Amino acid sequence: MKRKGLLFYIKLYCKILSQDLKSKMSYRADFIISTIGMIFTNIAGFVSFWIMFRNFSSINGWGYHEMLFLYGFSLVSLTPAQCFFDNNWSLRNYVYTGDFIKYCFRPINLFFYYQSEVFDVKGLGQLAFGLGTVIYSWIKLGLGFTPLMVLKMTVFLLTASLVMIALQTAAAATCFWINNSFYVLDLAYKFRDYAKYPITIFSPVFRTIFTFIIPIAFISYYPSLVILRPDEVPLLSWLSPVFGIAFFYIAYRIWMFGALKYNGTGS
Amino acid sequence: MAPVIDIKNITKEFKVLNRREGLAGSIKDLFSRDYKIVKAVDNITMSIGQGEIVGYLGPNGAGKSTTIKMMTGVLEPTSGEILVNGKLPYRNRSKNAQNIGVVFGQRSQLWWALPLVESFKLLKDIYQISDEQYDGMMKLYQSLVDIEPLLHKPVRQMSLGQRTLSDILAAFLHDPKIVFLDEPTIGLDVSMKAKIRTLIHALNKEKNTTVILTTHDMGDVDALCRRIVIIDKGRMLYDNDISHLKGFFGSYRTLKIRVDGDLSKESAVIAKEFPEFKVSADDEWISLLVDEEKSTIMDVFTGLQKKRRISDMQLEEISTEDVIRKIYEEGVK
Repeated sequence: MKRKGLLFYIKLYCKILSQDLKSKMSYRADFIISTIGMIFTNIAGFVSFWIMFRNFSSINGWGYHEMLFLYGFSLVSLTPAQCFFDNNWSLRNYVYTGDFIKYCFRPINLFFYYQSEVFDVKGLGQLAFGLGTVIYSWIKLGLGFTPLMVLKMTVFLLTASLVMIALQTAAAATCFWINNSFYVLDLAYKFRDYAKYPITIFSPVFRTIFTFIIPIAFISYYPSLVILRPDEVPLLSWLSPVFGIAFFYIAYRIWMFGALKYNGTGS
Repeated sequence: MAPVIDIKNITKEFKVLNRREGLAGSIKDLFSRDYKIVKAVDNITMSIGQGEIVGYLGPNGAGKSTTIKMMTGVLEPTSGEILVNGKLPYRNRSKNAQNIGVVFGQRSQLWWALPLVESFKLLKDIYQISDEQYDGMMKLYQSLVDIEPLLHKPVRQMSLGQRTLSDILAAFLHDPKIVFLDEPTIGLDVSMKAKIRTLIHALNKEKNTTVILTTHDMGDVDALCRRIVIIDKGRMLYDNDISHLKGFFGSYRTLKIRVDGDLSKESAVIAKEFPEFKVSADDEWISLLVDEEKSTIMDVFTGLQKKRRISDMQLEEISTEDVIRKIYEEGVK
C-alpha cells in the first residue's frame, strides 16, 4: 500500500466533488430553489445592514464602506465552511442513529472521508455576493491595488475561513458526547453574525471571549485590519493566520477524538 | 496455517448509568455517579482460518455486534488479545481497513447519489486497487450476477435487494482477506436471499475470502456455513461444525399427525399421554418433538394409534432453526 499524502486526498476530493456535482445537476429544481433561497437570505442580511447605516453614519469610528468591507470579508471567509464542511450539520443524526459507523471502515482519514461526502453548492452564491461587496467597498475606500495586497487578502481570507471551519467542526463534534447538540451548533452558527462587526464595539469581557474562546473576531475583524488600516495593525492581526491554523487543528483533534471513541448503537 | 483472526479471552465492558424513574429520577441522574459495569462480551476465545465461512449467531443483544466492532477495530477490548491478519485492529485501524470488507444489511456504505460504477471507481482509488485487479474483479462479478443494469443506477434508486447486492460486491472489490457480513439478507424476498447466498458462496470459493456472517436467518446458515459460533449474554455457547449441532441435544425428530376432530383439544390430551415431549398444534397438524434417546418414533406412533384414528402422518428432521432456538431458550447444559 502506498502512502496516502496530501496529493492523494486532493485528487480523491476532486473526483468525489465532480461526481457529486454531476448528480446534483440532475436535480435542477432543487438546485435552483436552494440558490434562490440563499440569494434572499443574503439580500435580507444586507438590507438590515443598510437600514442600520441610514440611522448611524459610523459605528465606533468605522464608516459605512469600512463596515461594508468587513461584512463582505466575513461572507467570503464563511464560504469554505459552508461549501466543504456542510456535512457537520448532519453529524448528530448519523451519530444518534448509529449510521456514523459506516464511515469507520475505510482506510482513509475519517474526518476527510466524512466531510468529503457533501459539497454544498449554495455557498457559491454567498461567495459571489461577498466578493461583490468586498470589491465594491475596496474601490470606494480607494485602497489601491498591488499584487502584495492581493496576496495578503488571499492569505488572510483563507486563514480566517479556517476559524469558522474550526468553530463549526468543534460545535458539531459535541454530538459525540451529548445527545441534543443541535443547540451548540446553532449557537456557533449564530455567532458568525457578530463576526460582521468590529470587535471594539463590545465590552472588554466579550472582546476577550470573542478573541480567545469563541474566536469569531478572527473571521473578519482582525484579518481585515491588515487591509483596511495598514498603519495601525495590531499584533493579533498579524498572528491571525497562526490562530486560524491553531484553532482548526484543535477542532480537528476534538472531532477525531470523539469519532474514534464512537461506539455506535446496537443493531 | 496461521489464523486470520485470533481472539484470546477478550472481554468488553461498558459503563452504564443506573437510571432512576420519573422526572425527579432523571434530575438525580444528572449528578449520579452510580454506574454499573455491563459485560457485553465476556471472555471469548476463537480462531478463524483463511477461507472459512463462520456463522456468528446469538439472540438480539448477545454481543455479536460488539465482537464484530472489536474485530474491525472500531472498539478496543477491555481485556484480552485480538489479532486480525496478525495485527491489533484497534491500534492499526486504517491498515486493518485495507484488509477487511464490511457490510451492514441495513446501512449502505455506498455513495447515495452516485451510480454504482462511480462508487466502485472511488473505492478503486481509496483502496488503491490496480487496474488489472479491478478489471479482474469486474469480470468475475459479471460472471456471477447480472450487474449491467445496476452499474448505471444511482444507489438511492435501488431496491433493498439490489443495494445489498451492490454493498456486498463493493465489500469484496479490494479483495480483502476477511469480509464481515452483518445480517446481509435482512428484509429481502426469497429469491433475492437465494441470489445473495449464491454470490457469497461463489466469492468465498473464488477468492478464498474468510467470511464472518451474523444472521438471524437459519437459511443463510444452512446454505453457507460449515462452522457456527453461538454466543449469548456475551458468553460463548457453541463453536463447532454445524453437523455436530443437530446431535447436540440428543437426537430429536418431529412427528406430525393428523386426526379427526378438534386438533387443539386432541393435542392437550396427547400432551398428557406423553408428558416428556413437547406437543403443539396448528390448523392441520399436531406436532410432537420426540427425543429418540427416550423412546423411538415407532413406539410413540404405536402409542398414539392405539387410542385414536390417525388419518395422515409426517416425520420431520429437526431444523437448524429449532436447535438454535433451543439453545437460545435453554442454553447449553
